[in-house]
Amino acid sequence: MPALRGSPYLLVDLIPLLSIFRGGTMLRIAHVPASCVLLSLLAWTTALVAQDTPVDVSDETAKMQAMATRIDELVQARLDQEKVRAAPLATDGEFIRRAYLDLVGSIPTVAQTRAYLDNDAPDKRQQLIAQLLKSPAHPTHLANTWRALVLEPSDDPQRLQNEQGLQLWLRGKFSENVRYDRLVEEFLTATQGSDGPGYFYASQDLKPELLASETSRIFLGLQLECAQCHDHPFDRWKQHDFWGLAAFFAQLERPANDNIVGLGRFDIVDRDMGEVTIPETDEVVPPAFPGSKANYASFGGTRRQQLAIWMVSRDNPFMPRRAVNWAWAHMMGRGIVHPADDMSPQNLPSHPELLDELTRYFIQSGFDLRLLLQTIALTDTYARSSEAVSDSEAPPELFARMAVKSLTPEQLYDAFLKVGLLKSNVTMMQQDGQRNQFVARLRTASKDRTFFDTGMPQALAVMNGPPVSTATSPETSGLLKALSAPFLSDEQRLNVLFLAAYSRPPNAEELMRYQAFLQQAEPEQQSAALGDVLWVLANSAEFMLNH
Amino acid sequence: MNALPHSRRRFLQTTAGLLGAASCSWLPQLATAAGSDPNRKRSCILLWMAGGPTQTDTFDMKPGHANGGEFKETETNVPGLRFSEHFAGLAKQADKLAILRGMSTREGDHLRGTYLMHTGQRPGGPLNYPSIGASLSKAMQDNQSTLPNYVAVNPSGLLSGSALSPGFLGPRYAAATVGTRGAPAAEGSDEMADLGVDFLSLPPGIDTKRQEARLALWKDQQNQFLARHPSGAAEAQATIFQSAVKMMHPDAASAFDLSQESTEVRESYGKGTFGQGCLIARRLVERDVPFVEVTLGGNGLGWDTHQGNFPTVERLSKELDQGWSTLLRELAERDLLETTTICWMGEFGRTPNINGTAGRDHFPDAWTCVLSGGGIAGGQAYGKTDEAGREVTEGKTEVQDLLATLCRAVGVDPATEHYSPQARPIKISEGTSIDQVLA
Repeated sequence: MPALRGSPYLLVDLIPLLSIFRGGTMLRIAHVPASCVLLSLLAWTTALVAQDTPVDVSDETAKMQAMATRIDELVQARLDQEKVRAAPLATDGEFIRRAYLDLVGSIPTVAQTRAYLDNDAPDKRQQLIAQLLKSPAHPTHLANTWRALVLEPSDDPQRLQNEQGLQLWLRGKFSENVRYDRLVEEFLTATQGSDGPGYFYASQDLKPELLASETSRIFLGLQLECAQCHDHPFDRWKQHDFWGLAAFFAQLERPANDNIVGLGRFDIVDRDMGEVTIPETDEVVPPAFPGSKANYASFGGTRRQQLAIWMVSRDNPFMPRRAVNWAWAHMMGRGIVHPADDMSPQNLPSHPELLDELTRYFIQSGFDLRLLLQTIALTDTYARSSEAVSDSEAPPELFARMAVKSLTPEQLYDAFLKVGLLKSNVTMMQQDGQRNQFVARLRTASKDRTFFDTGMPQALAVMNGPPVSTATSPETSGLLKALSAPFLSDEQRLNVLFLAAYSRPPNAEELMRYQAFLQQAEPEQQSAALGDVLWVLANSAEFMLNH
Repeated sequence: MNALPHSRRRFLQTTAGLLGAASCSWLPQLATAAGSDPNRKRSCILLWMAGGPTQTDTFDMKPGHANGGEFKETETNVPGLRFSEHFAGLAKQADKLAILRGMSTREGDHLRGTYLMHTGQRPGGPLNYPSIGASLSKAMQDNQSTLPNYVAVNPSGLLSGSALSPGFLGPRYAAATVGTRGAPAAEGSDEMADLGVDFLSLPPGIDTKRQEARLALWKDQQNQFLARHPSGAAEAQATIFQSAVKMMHPDAASAFDLSQESTEVRESYGKGTFGQGCLIARRLVERDVPFVEVTLGGNGLGWDTHQGNFPTVERLSKELDQGWSTLLRELAERDLLETTTICWMGEFGRTPNINGTAGRDHFPDAWTCVLSGGGIAGGQAYGKTDEAGREVTEGKTEVQDLLATLCRAVGVDPATEHYSPQARPIKISEGTSIDQVLA
């Protein structure tokens, strides 16, 4: 039995159970649906966890609050150490816009913003976060975010449509709030092309080396691919680590009678033959887990099941840390380890203790990704303003103020739609087509959202093309139509436009400037002039960024 | 206007910055002066032949062989170098052309071949490689320019995704596309093609005056946010949108306005989208745009002549000959040819044997690309195929070698590295340049 560190009750207890399969006919189950073995195991571990922590809502809330406070302490300690002053808390308007974008992927409507601004409850921030996480838009947004994390960006509309399969699958998992370890396991052992992960396997051409480098980046935060060709001079990873991991994907093939349905997705069969060799040598590399002496063969099942068991075991030092770092980066704009998907031992965390404690918390919560996001959202660190405190900027890794992040193309498109309140004579079909085109055009290559990764052709498309042109034209904008009602004052109109675009009312200077602008317009040009104001807001950095 | 105090580029920049400046007539004079500037940046024009052009009926003919087909060869201004009879204009400038007859690749599918020829990489890997236009324009770019660094004219709707993708470089390096406005002119139509940049014009109903009012408000709005939220993302947004505004200004946008050219000049390029595209390419090169791609045969993969090869190839050859030879002549007249390299290629060649429907099928084993203009030792053929045109017998050239040679010709080291999202350094080309065709 392999000697493994860490919690005694997962791997070590699993191994005798696995050996049941090993001894009998169950070992020759290459074609049994891959998740059968693991599902039963995971059901069992879930039961154990459930026994550990009986669910009590107020207890859960107290635990979240306690962790949030702990996060703030650890961040503050680092700020004190560096003698850096943290930014003040964001205003309500800043906060609601940010929470909407991060948790449900779009900006709030005027009504939602108003209700929040008018709410006097002392815990209105907590209420808002809980409500957003329950909304169906939350899993949609997470699925969208994870699809972008898993697949290289594409600007090909055809490929974008194929990605929908993976996105739908992810959405299903996130809306059930499936345990994150189970999601990873199901992803890794997928066999059905109709499941979303089939598209991931297809996009990597079932090549062991590609699957190894992508799955380790996505789920472990390890970038082993540099070791593909040579032992990395500065890294602990050796060529054998890379090819040992690749060997877990060496026995995949498409079924012989595979009907190609559309492009991309296909069924996957786990065989019991097939090995990897180091390129340009005859050296066969047996499966091995990076940085671990655990014996894969003792785990039973298919190669991919063996890998999945190792990845989701509590002893795995990488998987939960990577998930925690992802969640932190998603909310804060950068990871505790940055870049968030490069957690090699050389790339040190800015707050090692924080990463450790959050990881422990995540494991103890039963790999609950939603709870993790909720906890981070409750911190003061998350609620800080993005405005600069002083001329001398604190380094971003101190999290002294909220990072300024780019909207994803999807977030941007939906935000344009929201401020425009397009009339219903634009059909859903047309809108979908338009949305896909826009998203394809604005696709970014960088996974770092603190970059604004776009160019001149895209800027032209935003300024002059749909959806902005539609949203800012009185003929097509429902909002502009509504605002032209004669009983409204210019101040009221500007208030609505600013709430719609920025989730805040205009400041005194803005009010003066835009009132003067509206007064210059001829009476019959009022709607058009309001459209001009909306155009200005829609093309501004304040609108196009999450801050 | 003939003695300028600043560099031309700086002038263009400042002028473009002044909103509402009257459109001026100084650009042609400036362009002439630009050619003599020893520090002038180089440019590259890719003539993309969508569908895969036949080598045996263009630049590597097999007269007397059963595969030879119905076209005759014609002498060129280089003794011994012969082209198809339908390249009358190019034949007079063969001294500017290097014919690479030993191209050999391994992708016989349109989409895969298009990706391979544009990126140097076979498709299917985890990385989306940038097209050569994105890579080279990044390496050659001018950050101060009011014009985009990579412009694609009339790209094939079907394949433009893979052909023009900036891949891992990101949309900042994507091509600005010039397409046909209004209804596209039918193939062989006698009307002049009407080309324009996507979304460069103001949307319907917005005039210049309203746009100026919007921009004045916009500037204040931007400054207010930037002052309080200093950050890379906010600065990049402001800069890129400001550049787009500059590009919309009539002075910059006029680069794409072919109505500023005389009818005579426009007709000398040919009236179709390819000819007019070549004229746009010349106007952009005059303004230092580093990379322009012009497609011929984009509407339905024109060179994909599985049936009735000869009449189609004859028509396309004439269109190609007129656009390309006029481009060479005009660039030379403006002293711009020495700094402008033109690459002619498609996704693969076509079978030497003629099939049962008088067509030729896909053939990546042995085919032809052509380099011309700046940095190229013209007047030669490099590489050879056998009598039947089936195999390369001399000077076998891989796509990576072709791209490396193109890089050298435009003065960019092919080993220039760009970084993938995982911070892996990736060379523009890992091939070896062919010194014999470099000037």
